[in-house]
Amino acid sequence: MDYMIEAIDLTKKFDDLTAVDGLNIKIRKGEVFGFLGPNGAGKTTSIRMMVGLLKPTSGTILIDGKDIKQTEKGKIGICPQELMLWEHLTCKESLSLMADMYEVPKDVKNQRIDGLLKDLFLTDKADTVVSNLSGGMKRRLNLALSVVHEPDVVVLDEPSEGLDPQSRRVLWNYIRSMRDVQGKTVILTTHLMDEADSLSDRIGIVDHGKLIRLDTPENLKKEIGEGDIVDIKLSDPSKNLELITELEKIEDIISVVETDSRINIRALDAVSKLPQIMKLVEESDLRVDDLSVRQNTLEDVFIDLTGTGLRE
Amino acid sequence: MKFISIAVKDFKELVRDKRGLFFILLFPIFFMMIFGFAFGGMGQENTPHNIAIVNYDEGATILTGENFNFGNNLTNQIKESTYSNSDVKLFNVTETTESQADSLLKQRTVDAELIIPSNFSASMASQIANSSGLTANINSTVSSPIIRGDEGYSNFFASESALSTVMTGYQSGIVNGFKNQLAGTPGAEPVKYVNITVQGISGTQSFTQFDFLAPGMMVFAILLLATTIAAILTREVESGTLERLKMSKMRSFDLLFGGLIPWSLVAGAQVVILLIVAVLLGLHWQGGINSVILATIIGIIGGVASIALAMIIASFAKNDRQAANLGTLIVVPISFLVGAFFPLPQVFITVLGHSFQIYELIPWTHTLNALRGVLLYGEGLNAVAFQIELSLILTVILFIIGVFLYSRTRLRADN
Ligand SMILES: Nc1ncnc2c1ncn2[C@@H]1O[C@H](COP(=O)(O)OP(=O)(O)O)[C@@H](O)[C@H]1O
Ligand SMILES: [Mg+2]
Repeated sequence: MDYMIEAIDLTKKFDDLTAVDGLNIKIRKGEVFGFLGPNGAGKTTSIRMMVGLLKPTSGTILIDGKDIKQTEKGKIGICPQELMLWEHLTCKESLSLMADMYEVPKDVKNQRIDGLLKDLFLTDKADTVVSNLSGGMKRRLNLALSVVHEPDVVVLDEPSEGLDPQSRRVLWNYIRSMRDVQGKTVILTTHLMDEADSLSDRIGIVDHGKLIRLDTPENLKKEIGEGDIVDIKLSDPSKNLELITELEKIEDIISVVETDSRINIRALDAVSKLPQIMKLVEESDLRVDDLSVRQNTLEDVFIDLTGTGLRE
Repeated sequence: MKFISIAVKDFKELVRDKRGLFFILLFPIFFMMIFGFAFGGMGQENTPHNIAIVNYDEGATILTGENFNFGNNLTNQIKESTYSNSDVKLFNVTETTESQADSLLKQRTVDAELIIPSNFSASMASQIANSSGLTANINSTVSSPIIRGDEGYSNFFASESALSTVMTGYQSGIVNGFKNQLAGTPGAEPVKYVNITVQGISGTQSFTQFDFLAPGMMVFAILLLATTIAAILTREVESGTLERLKMSKMRSFDLLFGGLIPWSLVAGAQVVILLIVAVLLGLHWQGGINSVILATIIGIIGGVASIALAMIIASFAKNDRQAANLGTLIVVPISFLVGAFFPLPQVFITVLGHSFQIYELIPWTHTLNALRGVLLYGEGLNAVAFQIELSLILTVILFIIGVFLYSRTRLRADN
């Protein structure tokens, strides 16, 4: 079987709200798969169903080709979005408890715990009570607790939310090593473009419970083109639409979208278009608060697909 | 053995949670001290015991040839008895019929009922004759006075004990009196012809209010445990750690049985610690080391009932603060209902022809009765076995309800 997890027509309704809407996805063995979407898109709901924590309203989930109900416990490790920690236990005690709960043999337990603490830079804090850890340390422990039983599939829900840059680097390296060294299948959800971009082999973009695109980061970026982005903030954003209509008349402009009360203009040689853009602004008698030119990113792919920026 | 890992974890959490620990240990100790100072040293409680006497005695001819009614004589003696070094009467006596006495007992107008049998005088006469060596033409008669009362009622023990003390004194006093009168010298040990049906309880006259409150405090502490455990159980849900555990190979049994071990041990420890504090404050404790072991076991059973209550609370509370508040709201009234602070008027209900007190449906009522019996009256396992059995049965029922509710609300996959 090539696929580790298959979701077939997966749907979840909460009363009137359809949080996940007919999701079809196949996750390959040994890949890092990124679920990218704004908050409330249905990422957490999807993965909670995919690991058996939540019953779908309809649809099927296959793990390694078998129905999820027949999947043995311990095949999957999930690192939840929220911290799920015992405040009064130390790092080591927490890890030891979860290892016991997954029946990790005594002879490998201590070695594995020490290895995890080392990989996630928590060795110094091994005997510190959780309530005395910093936010970043708690996040790293949260991850360690999910993989202490060495599951085949590791699911990470918004792993770098609230992480300091240093902890994030530790985390990213660890995620890559899970795939490259340990050969695990990793699923992560994120609303951070750069995270999805730099970690994932493939990215599924979700919004309003639907999968709207699935491809490699390279293809997704290529699809949008190589152009740059001119990002303009008008002092009076209510005039955005008026200006957009004018801007669309400029030759060789690929797209003009409004996002977060800003205007994003994408063009192949954006810098050369700047004089024309400024001329239009002046003619419309508008004032610019902020203007920048940047490289096309995955975020722009997202904006192109959904028409909105990522909601934080 | 995953439940052992859970037990160790729960124990650590309990010990490291200073606020919770304060609540279940220091708070009851604090109460115990207040009650100790307020009701302990201050006043020996010299109030008369309310008793009913039913006298069937037909009288008998004694050696001197007189016809004498020892039953009447004993009744008067009981009426006249006072507390030592005091003018206060020991008893407040109602003389009445047996059926009337039984109903007074049920209403708790009287604490105990003494039934003097028709051959009481005859047996006394036998005894006097026997101890005087003049047995030739007298039949040996044995009589059995009865002291009747509600063994679940603390006042009964005190009255019963005072009564039996007075009666034993009466018997030997009369016999020796006659004997000396007849022979002029004290003779051999008198053979007993009066077998009083009472449990061997000593010197309860010196009991203070505090003595009755101290076991109540222990039960209060055990009940408070439910509040802390409910908070711990709810925290497990709230912090998401329960979700982690549910994902693992842990079974519900591991979680619940693992918790049972440390928490019920804490209940036992509460009993021992509070007993030490109470004894230091002047508790009239009887029964020695065995009573401590028995009381600890009774406390552990009460603790299991508290754990069951905690599971029920944790099935409904949304966060640990709510659990603690809800817990207090439930536990304090229960403490009053089981009579931890003062005895309550009786409320009878009748189910399937059996009439019983409504409080007897609460497991901790029996925990309290058993603790009082063991620690105050020095009773052994046999005497309190019935109370322990009742508390055990009710605890099992409550536990099944707790496991059912908690499993349904907390241990299933979300919908
Ligand atoms: N238990 C629940 N009850 C009702 N609505 C829920 C529940 N869980 C999630 N939702 C709703 O479902 C939608 C998707 O949520 P979620 O999967 O958490 O999004 P994401 O993880 O992508 O931010 C949101 O609108 C959220 O409010
Ligand atoms: Mg989420």
